[in-house]
Amino acid sequence: MVAADFIEQLLNGLTLGMVYVLLAAGLSVIFGVMDVINFSHGELFALGAYFSLSIIAPFGAGTGFWIAIVVAPVAVGLIGAAIERTTVRPLYGRDPLYHILLTFGLVLVTNDVIRLIWGTQQRQLAVPEYLSQPVSILGVQVSVYNYFMIVFAALLAVVTWYLLNRTKYGMIIRAGSQDREMVRNVGIDIDQYYTLVFGVGAALAAVAGIVLGGYQNVNTGMGNSVIIPAFVVVVLGGLGSFRGAVFGGLLVGVVQTLMRAYSGSVLATFGDTTLTVPNLEGLTVYLLMIAVLLVKPQGLFGTRGEESDGEGEILVGGYGGVLADSTRVRLGGIAVVALALAPIAILFMGDQYYLVVLNEILIWAIFALSLDIVMGYAGLVPLGHTMFYGVGAYTAALIMLHYSQSVFIVLLGAILICAVLAWVVGSLSIRVSGVYFAMITLAFAELLYSAVFKFDFTGGSDGLLGFEALLGLGTVGESLSNIEFGLLGYELGQQFVFYYLALLIAVLSFLFARRMMNAPFGSVLQSIRESEERAEFIGYDVNRYKRRAFVISGGMAGLAGGLLAVSPSTVIISPDQTLNWIHSGEVIVIALFGGMGTLYGPMIGSGVFFGAEEFLSSYTDQWRLIIGTMFILFVLFVPRGIVSIPSLVAQRLETANNADGAVDMDEPDVRSDD
Amino acid sequence: MTETVLETDGLTKRFGKLTAVDDVSLSVADGEFRSVIGPNGAGKTTTFNLITGALSPSEGAVRFKGEDITNVAPHERVGRGLGRSFQITNVFGGLTVRENVRLAAQSVYSDEINPGEALFRDKNGFDEIAEQTRTVLEQIGLRDRADEHAEALAYGDQRRLELGLVLATDPALVMLDEPTAGMSSEETQATMNLIDEVLSDRSLMLIEHDIDLVMRVSDRITVLTRGEELASGTPEEIANNEDVRDAYLGGVRE
Ligand SMILES: Nc1ncnc2c1ncn2[C@@H]1O[C@H](COP(=O)(O)OP(=O)(O)OP(=O)(O)O)[C@@H](O)[C@H]1O
Ligand SMILES: [Mg+2]
Repeated sequence: MVAADFIEQLLNGLTLGMVYVLLAAGLSVIFGVMDVINFSHGELFALGAYFSLSIIAPFGAGTGFWIAIVVAPVAVGLIGAAIERTTVRPLYGRDPLYHILLTFGLVLVTNDVIRLIWGTQQRQLAVPEYLSQPVSILGVQVSVYNYFMIVFAALLAVVTWYLLNRTKYGMIIRAGSQDREMVRNVGIDIDQYYTLVFGVGAALAAVAGIVLGGYQNVNTGMGNSVIIPAFVVVVLGGLGSFRGAVFGGLLVGVVQTLMRAYSGSVLATFGDTTLTVPNLEGLTVYLLMIAVLLVKPQGLFGTRGEESDGEGEILVGGYGGVLADSTRVRLGGIAVVALALAPIAILFMGDQYYLVVLNEILIWAIFALSLDIVMGYAGLVPLGHTMFYGVGAYTAALIMLHYSQSVFIVLLGAILICAVLAWVVGSLSIRVSGVYFAMITLAFAELLYSAVFKFDFTGGSDGLLGFEALLGLGTVGESLSNIEFGLLGYELGQQFVFYYLALLIAVLSFLFARRMMNAPFGSVLQSIRESEERAEFIGYDVNRYKRRAFVISGGMAGLAGGLLAVSPSTVIISPDQTLNWIHSGEVIVIALFGGMGTLYGPMIGSGVFFGAEEFLSSYTDQWRLIIGTMFILFVLFVPRGIVSIPSLVAQRLETANNADGAVDMDEPDVRSDD
Repeated sequence: MTETVLETDGLTKRFGKLTAVDDVSLSVADGEFRSVIGPNGAGKTTTFNLITGALSPSEGAVRFKGEDITNVAPHERVGRGLGRSFQITNVFGGLTVRENVRLAAQSVYSDEINPGEALFRDKNGFDEIAEQTRTVLEQIGLRDRADEHAEALAYGDQRRLELGLVLATDPALVMLDEPTAGMSSEETQATMNLIDEVLSDRSLMLIEHDIDLVMRVSDRITVLTRGEELASGTPEEIANNEDVRDAYLGGVRE
């Protein structure tokens, strides 16, 4: 029965794999043709399932399912096309970074709309009764639905392949993904095809959502849970390759399922030695992805070179002449003084909760600052930066639990461990550039995320708890949570002490980074962002500079993570709170939102982001929708971030004074390189 | 007999089926002004890319100052005295003109800057680098525009900045890929004067389409067609070479 069992697992793997194929096909072709990394693909997938719920309800499972599987994808396809027209289109030719920000905003908006319409509880998608029967073929028993999924998805894949390879439309689309300009030059309006590709990709994702919804269930987290595996599939197969998406999808589906079924089980016994399958469930696909990216960065079936096209430009923020340097320094000073006095105001308001929010802002300000060093200055976009935040937090918690409770030793430990990790990850990742660098760092982060679930010493899915920091060296010192003293009759406690510690560290981190950027090392980083090739040919070892920047950035992110663990309001350090990929997305969004390449921009971004979240969530449940919309508007109209607003306004006023003439909102000339 | 500064030995580069550079063996003497001419697509830029390390050759070797540098990284070649400019302007557009030149000058001194200084000392506080920057800005005539962003410069000024970046790295052998491309004839003349003046004590390799100009200024000329070295010699030798006249001077000349 071992063989039958294995075949059953294989079938389950293929079933899941088919879902990935449908998802990855759209994702990959959208990237191949338009260079768009579409994070919202997972939410379109979920939307397909939710639409079906509503369609099936009035008709019943028997006929409703079949109506849904046709109507829902068409509806989602139309939504996809509309999204492309209104939001993605203005961004073609920009760095893929902006697509990340945009589609991240779309994730928040779509997800919140789903919550608003269908609620948050898990739902069951009804499938016709004859599909849910178990059948037994050659002693292998799975549900008919498995076979249905495999056959139906395979059929769709074949149709898509046919459309791409055997029709005129497909030819044009593929030609466009090779050389956009050439297609334009022969007089074809390639932009029309983009809408089509985006719509069809969305429809395929919707089908995948319906199919998987019927197999498992429908919930608001379903998009989030498939998007990262789908990216793994796309990268494994080769960005832009349809064949790669099919092969990668099946591979990942089967490997995931088999590892889940057989992890830790005995493979074979030779005398005394037993050979067991290593317990690597959840890790395997990421190890696979890293290995493939290192050996063949363009993926198994990819044809593109590993170099990114370099046509997109990263837009850094900056006041650009509107505010003088001295004004800026003065504003910074005022901000620090205001922050230093804030606790007193909070004291009089009597609600220490605001202090908890301020603490979070400071921690994330340091985190976003660390990202700016690599993203805004060296032009590297890591999609896995939260690995340093997370590892910093775990390191700090472990040091407190096992070695020392001294705040200083704990933070130093977090910095050092993360710097070492960054050196290792950086050495391996920096060899590939652009999107591939983003993806390989994502794989490392996901690898660590999956790994902490595996080990006892990291507390598995529960995380770590029961640690406490002391403000002092060694074992002497005052426990942060015991510190309480009075001032003017008010109780001052741990939150205050931590707040000033975090503020001090945030200010020092900023000063450190600013100093560095005005020194020879930082100036080379900026030259690398401007033109890597030129930097190399005036004699700089570009990879070495990038790696060092990555180490410094990783150490600083680790410091932010360490502060999170030390914070008195942190009781537990869990995988999802620190290592979930969402945080990597969030920190990029915050840095862009504030204004990259300015150091203070990302820190302001943190304040505005968490401030807005706090403010909005106290008034409405739909705060994600509002924040998501804000991101979309920002990436479209204020791509250089909050810090560029003064010069945007100045420009507006100027053009208003000069009468007519439209302002070019996309390319305001406000770069600065301080 | 002067020493050889650069030698290539059977240099070959294939892109799939196309052989862009085919068994090219050059030898450039110390202090020589060598021009490389040839029709579009002849493999001139590719040859430069192979010599500077932007591409690695399919076959063959490159020797610089007597050492084999075929497997040496590009930045390391720059460090040893091999500077280059690009056919398509490649400067740091978002940085000021001064910062562009300063970065190139800094690279020469980066061995002398210790790690602490590299991280924390003000980049403008290094006297030698500042001095070098000033000199080069003066030479390329962009001192008045030093505080403007490079991307805001007019095309001709950007080409001169491109040249300045090479000068600032203080190279022994300067490789210029069509430095005057797209310039007006006055600008071309001014640029050639500049090249003559500031690079007179260095070895020079120049890719240039203007044959008359090349004939006037070069010590020796190499003619490439379809990746192959058709002829090398003094301007008179080239002018009197039958093959060159047939294949290039009389034929495809634009
Ligand atoms: N990276 C590359 N990949 C594929 N083919 C290339 C590459 N670089 C150059 N080629 C091809 O090699 C040939 C030689 O190109 P190269 O740029 O060296 O010519 P060139 O002599 O510099 O011409 P031009 O006068 O137009 O600058 C051309 O056919 C070109 O298309
Ligand atoms: Mg050329």
